Amino acid sequence: MKPLSIARVNLVRFFRTRSAVFSVFLLPMLIVLLLGAMQGGASNPKLGYVSAGEDTFTLELFAILDGVDGFEVLEIEDEASAIRQVERGGLRAAVIVPAGFESTLRSGGDVEIGLVTRAEQEVQGIGDVVNAAITRQSILLRTARFATQKGAGTFDEALAVGEVAQETLPPVSVVATMAGEPFVLAGLGRFDIYAQGMLILFIFLTTLNGASHLIQARQLGVTRRMYSTPTPVRTMLAGEALSRFSIAIIQGGFIFIGTSLIFGVDWGSPIGATLTIIAFALVSTSGAMLLGALVSNDQQAGGISTALGLGLAALGGCMFPLAVLEMLSDTVYRVAHVTPHAWALEALQALVTEDAGVADIAGFLLILVGYAVVLGLLATWRLRKVLVR
Amino acid sequence: MGAAWTIARKDLKQRLRDRSAYIVGIVAPLGLALVFGFVLNPLSDFEFNATYAVADLDGGPVSRLFVDTVLANAEGIKVIEVASTDEAEALVDTEVSPLGGAGDTETADAAIIFPIGFSDDVQSERPVTIQVIGNQGSETNAGIAVALVEGYASELTSVRVAVATVENLVQEEVDRLAMGVEVLQTPNPVTLRDDTASTKQLDGVTFYAAGMAIFFLFFTVQSGITGILEERRTGTLARLLSSPITRSSVLAGKLLSSFVIGLVSMTVLFVATTYAVDADWGPPAGVALLILAAIVSALGLVSLLAGFARSAEQAAATGSMVGMVLGFLGGTFFDVSQAGGLLASLRFASPHGWFMQGLADLRSDDLGVVVAPVLAMVAFGVVTGAIGVARLRKGLRP
Repeated sequence: MKPLSIARVNLVRFFRTRSAVFSVFLLPMLIVLLLGAMQGGASNPKLGYVSAGEDTFTLELFAILDGVDGFEVLEIEDEASAIRQVERGGLRAAVIVPAGFESTLRSGGDVEIGLVTRAEQEVQGIGDVVNAAITRQSILLRTARFATQKGAGTFDEALAVGEVAQETLPPVSVVATMAGEPFVLAGLGRFDIYAQGMLILFIFLTTLNGASHLIQARQLGVTRRMYSTPTPVRTMLAGEALSRFSIAIIQGGFIFIGTSLIFGVDWGSPIGATLTIIAFALVSTSGAMLLGALVSNDQQAGGISTALGLGLAALGGCMFPLAVLEMLSDTVYRVAHVTPHAWALEALQALVTEDAGVADIAGFLLILVGYAVVLGLLATWRLRKVLVR
Repeated sequence: MGAAWTIARKDLKQRLRDRSAYIVGIVAPLGLALVFGFVLNPLSDFEFNATYAVADLDGGPVSRLFVDTVLANAEGIKVIEVASTDEAEALVDTEVSPLGGAGDTETADAAIIFPIGFSDDVQSERPVTIQVIGNQGSETNAGIAVALVEGYASELTSVRVAVATVENLVQEEVDRLAMGVEVLQTPNPVTLRDDTASTKQLDGVTFYAAGMAIFFLFFTVQSGITGILEERRTGTLARLLSSPITRSSVLAGKLLSSFVIGLVSMTVLFVATTYAVDADWGPPAGVALLILAAIVSALGLVSLLAGFARSAEQAAATGSMVGMVLGFLGGTFFDVSQAGGLLASLRFASPHGWFMQGLADLRSDDLGVVVAPVLAMVAFGVVTGAIGVARLRKGLRP
């Protein structure tokens, strides 16, 4: 079996280089780790608070903020670091309480509380939350001020009477419950979504990078030399394709097994995931063969494959999940589905979020095979001409 | 120095004829910046918007005040008024996007229900309750609805307490509704001030334009320096050294050509992304300093790797490996600064991280902020470059 021996030689040569081992095995795991760590496990936006003094009023306000659902509230040491964390994304917003909060209010003065958010657009939503907390706290202060204005009594008198009134009167209360379905991605673990994206990104990127091997073989005359032996072009093509495909499968399998063992990533049906990896490896192989056929300079191929590998991945939903693209814009979502990446991700996602079986993702797999066949035919047609030239 | 210029000029002419220089230096980063711009542009137009269903079964003055004033005046909130609790529930019992969905079917992020007799009950001293049903699919927007309603409930409690206090102090009944409105008009002693303008952040499009530019810079500058290894292999280096040209001139020439290629690539990307995708890199003087420092760091690193490599291929392979790791750690693909903790600090081990931080800090329009990133990148370049150049010099023997 000549194609097998061609592939075997190629594989041995490929994995002998340290950089290949790095980019096939280590880099994808490193990036999944990095992205997973960035998620930090919490999907709720973080709200920071800074106080210059720890008086009762300040602590009370923070306790109220702490009770708000949908936000994670944490204390930050000083204003500068709170602003820096908002700028650098650690916090969605920060609430800054000035020194002398309680004493200023007690002496009848007004206090401004600062709010720093990540972008202007978000002030509204988070502002509402903080405002509500402030309002809740200032019931008595406002009562005292109002009663004084009405001439009903002094500030302290009104504060004392108000306190009794607040304790005896039933408050206007709010009962909050939840309904509906959680967001599609909410059920996924912190590493899951990126593991899927990086699996697809790296299979395609690594395989496409392999196109330069094909070009080098042409440049160095390896293919011409082989042609002079009783080796038909189709055998050479099969051997080259098999090399690309095996590397894709080795990498895909490694990421699949590695992420589930190390990061506990849930891939759903293992057979479904395996079939998706195989189908996408076929697409990548065809893509690499086509690139190897069209470009005749291995350095150019390196640049093009890196750009295509990263660009198609970004478009196809490997870096920003498809569900997020769909929310952002219809056009972006549609363009995503021009890439094979999006279809592979649809299949992988269905396996996890919908507990889909092989039959349910058959449609996605067929589309992937379609990509592989079309790209493969184009590559073969072109390579038959250039391989022995 | 003349010889160095000649060598650099020759290298540059050669590179200009080679299409791969354009691909790695300009086409790839620009293409990726455009892709990221395309994907992320909708995000920069993103505004807070939420849809709340309201079932006002009461229809009295107190519930209308909330719907017609509080909700109507809030920015980005769309109200769907429905006649029954069931209808309101149906609207939230659906799947929506957590960013405030613009789906085809009508959905709401939360439903707010005022019970029958609400307005009367508030004016009496009976307990009253407003019901909020949040949509699980949009936890944050639902949380905001709860906060809004709780804010209003606190206002009402505040009115109740204030009115009762006044009644208690003056010992007579008052017109509770009229006085309630007066209480609501009394300004809250504590107010919120928006300090967001003081923050410095890169928008998504600029982030990726700059990120891709610096990421590919470390690949772009490789060709000139690793050219020494290539010339050693083909034997032209021996030929060069047999002429009256010093080793330093050869090295300087190679470094110079890499520098020029890096500078051209970064400048083209800076100008092109500014005009093509509206990237906003910041004041040109500050950007120029950061770019120059970044090139120094890239030259240093590539010299170091070339100094320890046996062949140009090996230098290129380790170069792309190290470039990838530093690029990812430095947060050129994903904003690692959001990670917080160790990861966020780790990016300062990479010149990429300093470059991105420098650009973000430039938002303040104060050129002084680039000093630290520039020094860090130059230091990185000088340290790695000194070792690398020393190694390369040793290898420069006929």
